[in-house]
Amino acid sequence: MTASIPNQLRKAFLFRGLSSDALTALAQKVSVRTLSEGDVLMRRGETGDSLFMIDEGWFKIVAEGPSGDELIINKTGPGETLGEMALVDEAPRSATVIAISNARVLELKKDAFQEILDQRPDVALALIRGFSSRLRFSTTYIQKAIDWSQKIAAGDYGFIENTQQFSGNTESDDDKATELLSAFFQMVRSVKAREDELKQQLEKLTLEIDEARRKQEFEEITGTDFYANLKEQAKKLRAQRMSSENEG
Amino acid sequence: MAGGKIVSIHSFRGGTGKSNTTANVASQIALKGKRVGIVDTDIQSPGIHVLFGLDETKMGRTLNDFLHGKCPISEVAFNVGEKAADSEGRAKLAGKELWLFPSSIRGREISQILREGYDVNRLNEGFQTILKELKLDYLFIDTHPGLNEETLLSIAISDILIIVLRPDNQDFQGTAVTVDIARSLDVPHLILMVNKAVPKYDFADIQKQVEDKFHAPVAGVLPLSFDIADNASRDIFSLRSPDHDWSKALRGVADAVAAVK
Ligand SMILES: Nc1ncnc2c1ncn2[C@@H]1O[C@H](COP(=O)(O)OP(=O)(O)OP(=O)(O)O)[C@@H](O)[C@H]1O
Ligand SMILES: [Mg+2]
Repeated sequence: MTASIPNQLRKAFLFRGLSSDALTALAQKVSVRTLSEGDVLMRRGETGDSLFMIDEGWFKIVAEGPSGDELIINKTGPGETLGEMALVDEAPRSATVIAISNARVLELKKDAFQEILDQRPDVALALIRGFSSRLRFSTTYIQKAIDWSQKIAAGDYGFIENTQQFSGNTESDDDKATELLSAFFQMVRSVKAREDELKQQLEKLTLEIDEARRKQEFEEITGTDFYANLKEQAKKLRAQRMSSENEG
Repeated sequence: MAGGKIVSIHSFRGGTGKSNTTANVASQIALKGKRVGIVDTDIQSPGIHVLFGLDETKMGRTLNDFLHGKCPISEVAFNVGEKAADSEGRAKLAGKELWLFPSSIRGREISQILREGYDVNRLNEGFQTILKELKLDYLFIDTHPGLNEETLLSIAISDILIIVLRPDNQDFQGTAVTVDIARSLDVPHLILMVNKAVPKYDFADIQKQVEDKFHAPVAGVLPLSFDIADNASRDIFSLRSPDHDWSKALRGVADAVAAVK
């Protein structure tokens, strides 16, 4: 597996801008860890000091439900990176990750990583570039989400037609933002569908006739001498006009 | 029928848009080169003359004069194609063969005829005379709302009856009675037209409900429109604004009338 470690590392957002040479150097600091089903890879709230890349096997990402029970947020598998921010910040782990099969992960420890940063300013620079591009990426998407939210609030769904769907893009590291936006998109679509349906209901008029009244009014009108006369006359008149036209 | 057709426009309740419909459908048909007459039988509250730019100063003999035996019906004819091409819409009628037979708008004459009454047979003779003398293809009759005697007469002698209704339950109820009367009087062709439909409603659904209920074709569902109200019956709207949704639907009604053989 060692041969593919630099390529594995390249998949992490953090390492995207690194040269092959830097990646190879980084790969040498990586250690392999095997886990059995049920082993905890990281625990929410702990201060992490490693980045993990899943080489084999599957993990569940869990949070605690309101009554202390386990709530599975997501599942993750080969090729995914976990806890990469631990290498640069001091924030505690945001979720607990548990193996749901036998698994193997690549681990890069914070110390080993920082050693490289000390030795190689080019790696540090590439990392900063990586961060700033991620930041720009995030703000662009956040801005979009804000724009869309404002439009939805104003009842303007026109952008749905004018924006392409985010899908089929699962290879990229931009996945999380993309996923968020596509979930957002789904939500807007269903909100709009529901609103359309509601409108549709409003738009249908209910027209009704009181049949008893209809009959009564008809009888009142047709019950007069005038009406009887008229009906008779009308019949004659039609016949007359018919024949006079046929003559002419 | 080879000769002219009598087309009555009726609604059970007032203000549905009969006069506007009559004037516009008649104009659309005259525009196609047909010979068309319009009689305003709404003696109590005449209205259609306004759409043709006719006021007290321009009005000569009226239907009232004819009914009182003061003049032959031919003298009542107001030649729209010659005289009323004085607005943007009506200008398109210049040279067309369209005659209006107005009712008097003088208060004294209106109250006189309401007080003394008149012979509905004479009215009928008038219709027949106009049809013959002017060799009309169509004689349109604008009516007073409800089912009074002259309205019943106009329905009884119609070849085509257009019932105008608004999409509300009161009009729906009244239309039901009128439809029954029209069937009882053997009117050969019954056409329904929905006017003043609020645009937020589903027009296709309104059309379907009305057709299902009355088993008669709905030739058009015309929108309630500020533009029509703003026109204030001063001009023939479908001629003035031919691309307006109301005008498009109105032409559908004119086509339905023209399609009757
Ligand atoms: N689709 C419409 N949208 C808005 N206003 C309309 C529409 N159709 C007609 N109107 C307006 O409604 C009023 C009544 O129209 P109109 O005089 O044609 O009806 P009517 O049935 O002949 O009335 P009446 O029963 O008094 O003779 C007019 O002010 C007219 O401008
Ligand atoms: Mg009227």
